[in-house]
Amino acid sequence: MTISNSISIDKVISELKLVLDKKNNILTEYEERFCYAYDATAIGEKLYLPDVVVLPENTEQVAQIMKIANKYKIPVITRGAGTNLCGGCIPLKSGIVLHTSKLNKIISIDKDNLTCVAEAGVVVEKLQQEVEKLGLFYPPDPSNLKVSTIGGSVALSSSGPRCFKYGGTKDYVLGLEVVTAKGKIINIGGNTVKNVTGYNLSQLFVGSEGTLGIVTRVTLKLIPLPESKQVLLVFFDSIDDAATAVTDIISHKITPSTLDLMDQKTMDTVEQFHPTGLPTHYDAALVIEIDGIADTIFVQAKQIEEICYKNNAKDVRIAKDKKEADEIWFARRSAFGAVARMKPNVITEDAVVPRNKIPQMVKAIRKTADKYNLNVCTMGHAGDGNLHPNFSLDLRDHEEHERLEKAIEELFDAAIELGGTLSGEHGIGMSKAKFMNKVASNEVLEYMKLIKNSFDPDDILNPGKILIK
Amino acid sequence: MKKLENYSEDIYKCSKCGICLAACPVYEETGNEATLSRGFFTLLHGALNNKIPLKKLAKYLDYCTTCKACFDFCPSGISAEEIILAARSYFYEHGDISAIKKSIVKAFNSNMILKGLGFSAFIYRALQGPFWFDQLGGLSSQFNLISNIVNSQTQEYIKYKKLSPVGDKKEINAVYFPGCINNYFNASVKNATVMVCEKNGIDLDISPNFACCGIPARGIGDMQSFISLAKHNIGQIDLEQIDYLITDCATCGMVWDIYPEYLEGEYKEKALLLAQKNMNIYKFLVQFDIFLPDNVEDNKIVTYHDPCHLKRSQKVDKEPRKFLSLLPGIKFEEMKNADRCCGASGLYFLSKPGISQSISKRKAENILNTKANIVTTSCPSCKIGLSQGLSLCNRKMPVYQPVELLANIYFNKMN
Repeated sequence: MTISNSISIDKVISELKLVLDKKNNILTEYEERFCYAYDATAIGEKLYLPDVVVLPENTEQVAQIMKIANKYKIPVITRGAGTNLCGGCIPLKSGIVLHTSKLNKIISIDKDNLTCVAEAGVVVEKLQQEVEKLGLFYPPDPSNLKVSTIGGSVALSSSGPRCFKYGGTKDYVLGLEVVTAKGKIINIGGNTVKNVTGYNLSQLFVGSEGTLGIVTRVTLKLIPLPESKQVLLVFFDSIDDAATAVTDIISHKITPSTLDLMDQKTMDTVEQFHPTGLPTHYDAALVIEIDGIADTIFVQAKQIEEICYKNNAKDVRIAKDKKEADEIWFARRSAFGAVARMKPNVITEDAVVPRNKIPQMVKAIRKTADKYNLNVCTMGHAGDGNLHPNFSLDLRDHEEHERLEKAIEELFDAAIELGGTLSGEHGIGMSKAKFMNKVASNEVLEYMKLIKNSFDPDDILNPGKILIK
Repeated sequence: MKKLENYSEDIYKCSKCGICLAACPVYEETGNEATLSRGFFTLLHGALNNKIPLKKLAKYLDYCTTCKACFDFCPSGISAEEIILAARSYFYEHGDISAIKKSIVKAFNSNMILKGLGFSAFIYRALQGPFWFDQLGGLSSQFNLISNIVNSQTQEYIKYKKLSPVGDKKEINAVYFPGCINNYFNASVKNATVMVCEKNGIDLDISPNFACCGIPARGIGDMQSFISLAKHNIGQIDLEQIDYLITDCATCGMVWDIYPEYLEGEYKEKALLLAQKNMNIYKFLVQFDIFLPDNVEDNKIVTYHDPCHLKRSQKVDKEPRKFLSLLPGIKFEEMKNADRCCGASGLYFLSKPGISQSISKRKAENILNTKANIVTTSCPSCKIGLSQGLSLCNRKMPVYQPVELLANIYFNKMN
């Protein structure tokens, strides 16, 4: 599919220049393209260089770009903030990287109907701040929300700690403006919460990783902003106790917004690099956030405290004020950074299992890491059964890298055996494409290929991701 | 001093998580990954592994304002500023720095040239230049911008006047390092600093024959000139006679902190001692019970912009605010993103005018949203950024150092 001869690339570029009237919006220098050969996925020294990078400023330009790409059958890889961990933005087969950094306008916020419309490149945190000014709430909170975009969230169906109570991106997408592989602009879904009009195409695009079309605008559902919140940090001597506490909290009809987990190694590492006074001898800790009406959450916090002690919690800390709450969250959010400081590279996995299988999965992670002599810190979202083992290593050590690859495959097998799957919120991309047949039968994969083929018959939209030809 | 090669592990450590995209004021304007830390590290790693010629990266690294904002966020704790300066030093050694930049920087390396330039600023003021230039500014927006920038550096708000101290003289040996702008272009801040200290019973020693702190040379990678200026300045101070080394310029203050990294032997030892005594004027003043006249009939709203070299390099951000909130007749109002780069960054406003102006404009919008009458900061270069931004928003507003406000209060209360 790649255009190998440079003459046609020059032609593509000269046509793109006519579409992108500003010269800063088309990047052709080797050095510039080199910066777009990567995203946040640790891929080592491999180099997949795009032919050209474009920064369109409106949907019309995206459509024109897509028409050119379709004419020359050249791949288009859409990129938001490039923060994904599955190699989603890596131009495996060269082509055009379409960077949405300039599609960054919030078009409207509808306070009465609780919806908003944003361009794909709008940063999640920016959108949240704007809607919160009006007392509204957009809950999905991927950990990179300071930089990651709405378009990226849709492409990977992102979620975060708050998913347990509020759901992920897929639960908030009402409608999409999409540019098709042929360069047509289509509007799918709508702007109402209820909408049963034929196939639910918007949901098909959520999590499609830029392989079916280019999402340029998103209509999102919003909800009223909870009045207040409270954070608890609870320590356990065994991860089993932490897991039963989680189940027990839920069975008491309490729905915390967050039920996050850190294991002993994670706390130890956080303390090494960002000391906040976390005890490092407990086997596990839960970060529990509840939100709602102030009076209710006060009662709930006490209830949770009681339930945790009943399940052998060793210590329960309830944040007294915003400062203490921020400290607890700081410790949790520093976890990735702390792991990143141990060794040069971090590989974060994302397997998900049924909630009550968390202890088995954590044990499987520990056992596998020991077996392959790897450094692993496990954290994740206990309420969703979504665990992030963070392996710190040096990819230049090829032997260590090989051990990791084996360990990861074994972890996927373990997750599947426990009734789970490959990815909860990071996506498949290039990293997990080869494992798709572990979770999807040949028939299912055939249907996925049929869908891909009908949207993108020439395989020019982010080729090589999700499905391997 | 570490060379670029010594940073190869730090560069490799970048996990490409992309958090720096949120911090970088330049990326906000360009939307181009080749203009921010993640891209720089990707490129430098490529260059150190012979995938790209290193010299080709000079033009990309030039996009960095060295504001250090990304360092605050970087999970891996990598200092982009240090690495970029090490790279610039390499480019300088290999002749990849433009002749124009070199000649501007040369001016700062020589007290003679600075005196000449300072004299022209004096003549300019004597001929009522700021007034006339301001009038001419009405001709076009471009002209208005230039006049505002020039005037931000040349307007002398505070003239020196000997004030009688309140209370006893304090037994403090404080040497004052005024910096080039104070010394040669416009002594307003220096006058204010000296007056405020004198009023509070502190005599600053302003006698040493200091040269430029060296930051312009370091900024283009001319480390040899930087080191010789460092040695000259350190040589002016008698270690027996100093409790404090006072700076009011954010950059000069930072430079005294980093001199030791660039020196060896005896100079390094002396520089280390001086770095401990080095203190920003606001941190210095708020330790004392500053004299504050009462019944000041004024009602001004004042906001404050954090210079990167003061907040991030010297960790001084609460003190100027505390100082401002003490002042009578003044209401302090915090602006949004007070610590985001102003866009001027030394010569950046000349080398990358488009990006610099967009950054400044965002800053000015945040200033205007506070409804302030006066904006303050603690850095001559930031004054350019703030004036530039306000001018682009078609607004005029005085840009002061907080200490000038107090000097002005003292001055008015005398009459």
